[in-house]
Amino acid sequence: MAKNDDCVHILQGLLVFGNVVIGMCGIALTAECIYVVSNPHDLYPLLKATENSDIYASAWIGIFVGLALFALSILGIIGVIKASRTLLLVYIILMLITSAFEMASCITAATHQDSLTPELFLKQMLERYQKSEPANNSDNEVTKTWDELMLQNHCCGVLGPSDWQKYKSAFRRTHSDADYPWPRMCCVLDAQGLPINLDGCKLGVPGYYNSNGCYDAISGPVNTHAWGVAWFGFAILCWTFCVLLGTMFYWSRIEY
Amino acid sequence: KPHSRPRHTDTRTMLPLLLLLLPAAHGIARLRYTPVLTEEPPLGGQKTASTFVLDQPRCVFKDYGNADIWLVVALDGSRWSSAGQGASRGPCTPHQIPPHPHPLPAAESTFDNTARPGSNETAFQSFPDPVHAYMTLNATLVNYPCPKPAGDITVLRVGSETSCAEDETRPTCNGPLPGPGPYRVKFLALEGSVPVAETLWSMPIMLTEAKSPNTISTTGSGHSAGMIAITTILSILFAILLAGLVAMLVFWSSDSCSGSSTFSKPESVTVRRYNTHHVYDQPASRL
Repeated sequence: MAKNDDCVHILQGLLVFGNVVIGMCGIALTAECIYVVSNPHDLYPLLKATENSDIYASAWIGIFVGLALFALSILGIIGVIKASRTLLLVYIILMLITSAFEMASCITAATHQDSLTPELFLKQMLERYQKSEPANNSDNEVTKTWDELMLQNHCCGVLGPSDWQKYKSAFRRTHSDADYPWPRMCCVLDAQGLPINLDGCKLGVPGYYNSNGCYDAISGPVNTHAWGVAWFGFAILCWTFCVLLGTMFYWSRIEY
Repeated sequence: KPHSRPRHTDTRTMLPLLLLLLPAAHGIARLRYTPVLTEEPPLGGQKTASTFVLDQPRCVFKDYGNADIWLVVALDGSRWSSAGQGASRGPCTPHQIPPHPHPLPAAESTFDNTARPGSNETAFQSFPDPVHAYMTLNATLVNYPCPKPAGDITVLRVGSETSCAEDETRPTCNGPLPGPGPYRVKFLALEGSVPVAETLWSMPIMLTEAKSPNTISTTGSGHSAGMIAITTILSILFAILLAGLVAMLVFWSSDSCSGSSTFSKPESVTVRRYNTHHVYDQPASRL
């Protein structure tokens, strides 16, 4: 019947369109994950020191998943147009496997982002910043990263300069509390890198020291990467779910 | 007479009475000013682990232009004065005071106003044991002009000199405080070596005590709503797809087993449903 053929054509058209979108999203996912992997932001030493670089594992998986999605979308388009049961069965099974990998990547990225709490960075900063006998190079990296961070974002500590007062730290072991209530980087510095008013900084006079914490400056870039991988992957998976359901329905209507 | 018939076994009720008489006997003026920590402007370093910041005593020692104004810093053993005697207590509660091997009496009862600054009895380097109170931050009225110009920050940072902390030749060093306290301070004006005026003792000042970073718990922050949403939704979707795949395979195997229900494959773009009721319609439906 004519109506049946029209339905079939519409279904085919939708499936082809769905696969085209999947193909494009696959390319976009690959591009985004290559960017995340090859362009670690300045805070990468802090992340590396937390020994939790799941975000990069997620990004690597994302690269391969993106390429697989692109290849499979082409297979899907061919299968839909030819109405071949074997091709579509292969397509569906491979898509499910790829989706499983993408699911793992999304969930890992989301979980990793949750683990980056202020307490994690606070503990790391207190234990490693200006450690007098650095155990390995990563301690020097942590110190350099924190100095850069505090200089550029005009902030101090994770939650504020009081972090250095409330807790003992590696910094406190080598710098007396009376001379250095907080590191010199927390002071407002002039063009030469010297505090504009050292006494004002030590007293904590507003305007001569940075009184806000750096956590916002840290969580911004880190979250962007995690959300990029996790939520974009989630969106792709939702769309893929719809296309796969449609393909299964189409497959069941094909004659052998 | 204060010594006759003591009514309490604790002799300290008589000491304050006795000591009240002493300043009157020596003619020291008791100024009604209490040294306070700086509240205006709010300072981030008002209290650190070894320093604290006081307001300068502006417009307090107006009549003592010739006197040296010293700051007396004493370690306060409020534990003794907290036995319900009504001694003033600041924000420190007795259980916050670290135990001292030799219980210390309250600051106001041990400090002798005739003590000379720079002597062994008031040397910073011997504080807190055996010296219970040291004198530092020497100034004159010239350093504390009255009235205070608006917008100026007039403070005294107790504990800022680290260079002379171990130097026995500088007994009036304003060195970093050796522990969390509690400390009480007062200003004392001396003309020559004669005390002429003093302020009241401040409230007990407790400094911050640093905790070890091991007390920071980095685990168990819980999972955010986003992560739970992603996991749940994706798991459900994946389960539906797997169910669909299983249904497909079952359908396929049942399809291929009962061979009579399949037609031969027509031209590739048409899909027809096999339905015996419409067999006679087939030629008409073929377009």
